[in-house]
Amino acid sequence: MVKRKIGALEKVDADLSNLQYKIRRDPTSYKEDFLNQYSQYEHQRDIFLQAPSTATDDGIVSIRDLIDFLAHVADCYPQDTAQFPQDLMHILNTHHEELEPELREKVVGSLVLLRRKDIIDSSTLLHTLFPILVSTPSKSLRTLLFQKILSDLRTSNANSTNHRLNRTIQTVLYNLLTSDRTSSKGLWAVKLTRELWKRQIWTDSKAVEIMKEASLADNEKVIVGGVRFFLGGDKEREELEDESSDGEAVDMGRLKHQMAINKKNKKKARMMDNAVATVKKKERKKKQPHPLNFSAFHLLHDPQGFAEALFSKHLQNTRSKLNLEQKLLVLQLVSRLVGLHKLTVISLYSYFLKYLTPRQPSVTSFLASLAQATHNLVPPDVLEPLVQKIANEFVSEAAAAEVASAGLNAIREICVRQPLAINDTLLQDLVMYRKSKDKGVMMAAKGLLSLYREVGADMLKKRDRGKEAAMGLRSGQRKEQRFGEEAVGEIEGLELLERWKEEERQRQRVEKGLPAEKSSDESEGEDDEDPGDWEVDEADTDDSGGWINVESDKEIDISDSDDDKPAAKKAKVDSATSKVDDDKENAEDQAAATALKLSTLATTRILTPADLAKLQELRLSASINQQLPASQRKRAAQQAAALQARHADDPLTAAEIEGLASLSKKSTKADKIALAKAGKGDESVHQSTQAKRKEKKEALGKSTTNREKARKKNFMMTLGKGKAKGKRSLVEQGRVLKAHVERSKRGGKRGNKGK
Amino acid sequence: MGSSAKKKNEKRKDFKKPKLKVGKARPKPENFTDTSFKAKAIVLAHQSLTTNAPTQSTQFTHHLSLLSSRSSSQRRDSLAYLTAALTSRPVNITLPQPVGVLLSKLNPLILDGSNSVRIQLLKLLRTLPSREIEPHTGQTLLYIRAGLTHLAADIRSSATDLLLWAIEACPNELVSCAGGWVKTLKCLLTVLHWHAPSLTPGTGPVVGANAWSSSRAPTLGREGSEGKLTVKTLNVLATFLRAGLMEEHNADEDAMCAEKWPFPLRYVEAHMLPKRSNAFAHLNLFGPPRDEESEMYVEREERHRIFQTRFYAIVSSEVEAAKREGGEVGRAAAGVAKVLTGGMEGFELG
Repeated sequence: MVKRKIGALEKVDADLSNLQYKIRRDPTSYKEDFLNQYSQYEHQRDIFLQAPSTATDDGIVSIRDLIDFLAHVADCYPQDTAQFPQDLMHILNTHHEELEPELREKVVGSLVLLRRKDIIDSSTLLHTLFPILVSTPSKSLRTLLFQKILSDLRTSNANSTNHRLNRTIQTVLYNLLTSDRTSSKGLWAVKLTRELWKRQIWTDSKAVEIMKEASLADNEKVIVGGVRFFLGGDKEREELEDESSDGEAVDMGRLKHQMAINKKNKKKARMMDNAVATVKKKERKKKQPHPLNFSAFHLLHDPQGFAEALFSKHLQNTRSKLNLEQKLLVLQLVSRLVGLHKLTVISLYSYFLKYLTPRQPSVTSFLASLAQATHNLVPPDVLEPLVQKIANEFVSEAAAAEVASAGLNAIREICVRQPLAINDTLLQDLVMYRKSKDKGVMMAAKGLLSLYREVGADMLKKRDRGKEAAMGLRSGQRKEQRFGEEAVGEIEGLELLERWKEEERQRQRVEKGLPAEKSSDESEGEDDEDPGDWEVDEADTDDSGGWINVESDKEIDISDSDDDKPAAKKAKVDSATSKVDDDKENAEDQAAATALKLSTLATTRILTPADLAKLQELRLSASINQQLPASQRKRAAQQAAALQARHADDPLTAAEIEGLASLSKKSTKADKIALAKAGKGDESVHQSTQAKRKEKKEALGKSTTNREKARKKNFMMTLGKGKAKGKRSLVEQGRVLKAHVERSKRGGKRGNKGK
Repeated sequence: MGSSAKKKNEKRKDFKKPKLKVGKARPKPENFTDTSFKAKAIVLAHQSLTTNAPTQSTQFTHHLSLLSSRSSSQRRDSLAYLTAALTSRPVNITLPQPVGVLLSKLNPLILDGSNSVRIQLLKLLRTLPSREIEPHTGQTLLYIRAGLTHLAADIRSSATDLLLWAIEACPNELVSCAGGWVKTLKCLLTVLHWHAPSLTPGTGPVVGANAWSSSRAPTLGREGSEGKLTVKTLNVLATFLRAGLMEEHNADEDAMCAEKWPFPLRYVEAHMLPKRSNAFAHLNLFGPPRDEESEMYVEREERHRIFQTRFYAIVSSEVEAAKREGGEVGRAAAGVAKVLTGGMEGFELG
């Protein structure tokens, strides 16, 4: 009998991966084999369930392989494998502690695979995995589960937000935290929520509510996790967003250049296509409206209750087990809440009193927290003893320079927020430190002085007030501030914007050849801005760019015509008469009129982003004193911009309190050298500038010059030519020279006809 | 400078060869270290000059532990040793280890990759007394079933042999243990590619799904010996069905017992505690809840009923088909058909 030929793949008997491959290609034909394997799995499972802990996997086909195989082909036979996911969940739920690690990993992986094949849904998977994550003692399993849960939540929220799933998971996390406040299991809720918050998958108030519960827990780890989320979660989110947006920047110009030079093949073409696609995607993303993400603080429900609970539970409570560092974190959170939402927690301020000594560890953090907790609705008589104490303890001739400057900075930060917190004798006393020899102290005192020139010049001595403040006081423009006084709500600098707009309009009309003033019968909509004005134009921040419109002669001719003159005269006459009548009334009228106009601009039109950017710019330029010399003006502008950059939501840190203290310390020579060297690159390799440039050029993938090529040419290759050169006849030599001249005229061998 | 004669001599001394003299001890080198020491007593921790051969029982346990060895030849040799030990022991002496312990080691070897190990295993199992195997049948049957549907053909083949052995050794226990009847039957039908209808409620048998493809669809890893295996499996099926449906070993015994007792007492056996091991196992007091497949079918009538409802139609039709095939397969199928008619005749259809 002829021996039957066996295909290469058939020779291997116990080959599940082969079977898997075949099943995937043709499920109906291999159904019997599949059923065999399924019953094999069932038997192995039974054997395994008899003794889960002692199950040995040294057979040819282990249950691990079978589970893997079934998970991969389960979608081909949905009816036969209906029980399979439940089996896996059962195994994992009941035996996860005693399972062999590899098998356990495989079971988890298979469940996730089944989820990806849509055989089970997300909530089932998460409801299986999460309880195990919380309860298992194995660290590796926890990491695995955490990662899987996170990735599953991400994928199910990838295309559109899966609200139902999110809600159920959030409820699970919330219940985990509230059911047992003393256990550290809540840490998983904190971790998960923070991660999802960071990736902007959860951005709603429910997530914040979870973190709120975490910060009010009884377990230190959970508390710190919750508090840290509030203090740093939003920043983390922003950073991640920035990273993802500016990561892998593609230099299109360079790519195109390389495409022109290098060998063309399919792979390169594909790479180019991908690059174009990413660039386009990025541009589209840039143009998209920014997703409106509120920070965790703004999504808090009942911040007053939260702040009070935090304060009384973790700080005031003498039995709280938190150490100083953790307490400081909680204190930072409370003070930020108080400062941001302008809450009233009166007992908080007296709590600070005992910590305000220079010997207190990390006292600058306490000072920063105190300043942060201050706002204009805090009663001054609560703050006054604190300021007094800071002044007594920190600011004295005997104290070290750093200490004094920190104290002065802290007082200034408090007074920025509540100018009434200090009495005039103390203020005048502190201001005198501006004569201090130490630079840090001097600058801190000057800061305090310039602050009070703005907000309460009458508290300063006469000679300290400065010109502007003194004049303002005399004319009555500056009034003494009262506690609880609120300025009338308005958009700062709106009148500037309106004036600018009016000027622009006039300019445009002049360009068009129309009279500068608008006549009443012209329709409003005619000279409305075109839609191009909507976007912020990044290229020209200056008004109307560098281009100056030069009017043609014709327009000048038109303006020469008669009808313009009477109007001007009339206006003059009007103004003259009004001047004669009474100045004061007129002035008041005008003020009233402008006030009226302000409200109309803000209420009648929608301010476009371009408008807002202009407004910002105008506000900045108006605040700078135009009379200052150029150098000072520039500095003032910088300071103003820096102030602007600091958002109201940003926290006040200890570094800002310490701020200039570094100036008080004499820096050593080594420090100075290090500071000078900081900006420069690695200086360990000594190279000529040219060599460096060349290296840089090579790294960028640019080509070499002809001269460089000639220099690098192999010597042996030049020999032949050199030999021949000597034997040339006169005619030949002449031809060569001619050709050289010709070539140089043409601009190289191939010519240099403009590209 | 000053190189005195004394210094010169000293230097020369270093390179001088020491003279060896006959009958005198060899002069010690300069860097000699004296390693001798004095002690009051010297104790040697383990020293025995007589070696005792390990006893039979220790050797037995040692070889038992070697059954999970990595090398297949080691496993085979240990099995051979155990077999020899069991067969050569005197008749009325108990086993060196209880059967439960032995079987827990032996069961995984049913799925062993090496053919010689499995052959040796069968030999060993045949030596075990069947009365003592009975309580552990369920455990062994789990592994045998796993072997029946194994991916490797020769494991399937030897698992069939083992099933035959198990049926011969303790037929009653085999068909009445948990899952022993329905699951084994289903497993055998799967091996024969007779489509056993799914027993999970809610999913009825899918008739139309595979109707278009032939029942002998291409399968993976099928070898020339497939036909032989089918014959073997059919034979096993016949014995299995006979054990489940026909034979009641104790039936006549019971009848005798009924008359053994004096007049007022009748059928006392029925009211006494059963002699079977784990008599209340069918109540399943402590295990996880069982479904229809893994239920115990202790009585013959129960087995009849479940066979009638689930398997009778498919088995009879497939047997008819196989009979028509003729040859060895046909003959084996005829054997199954005979058992089928014999087993089902006492039972009312429908």
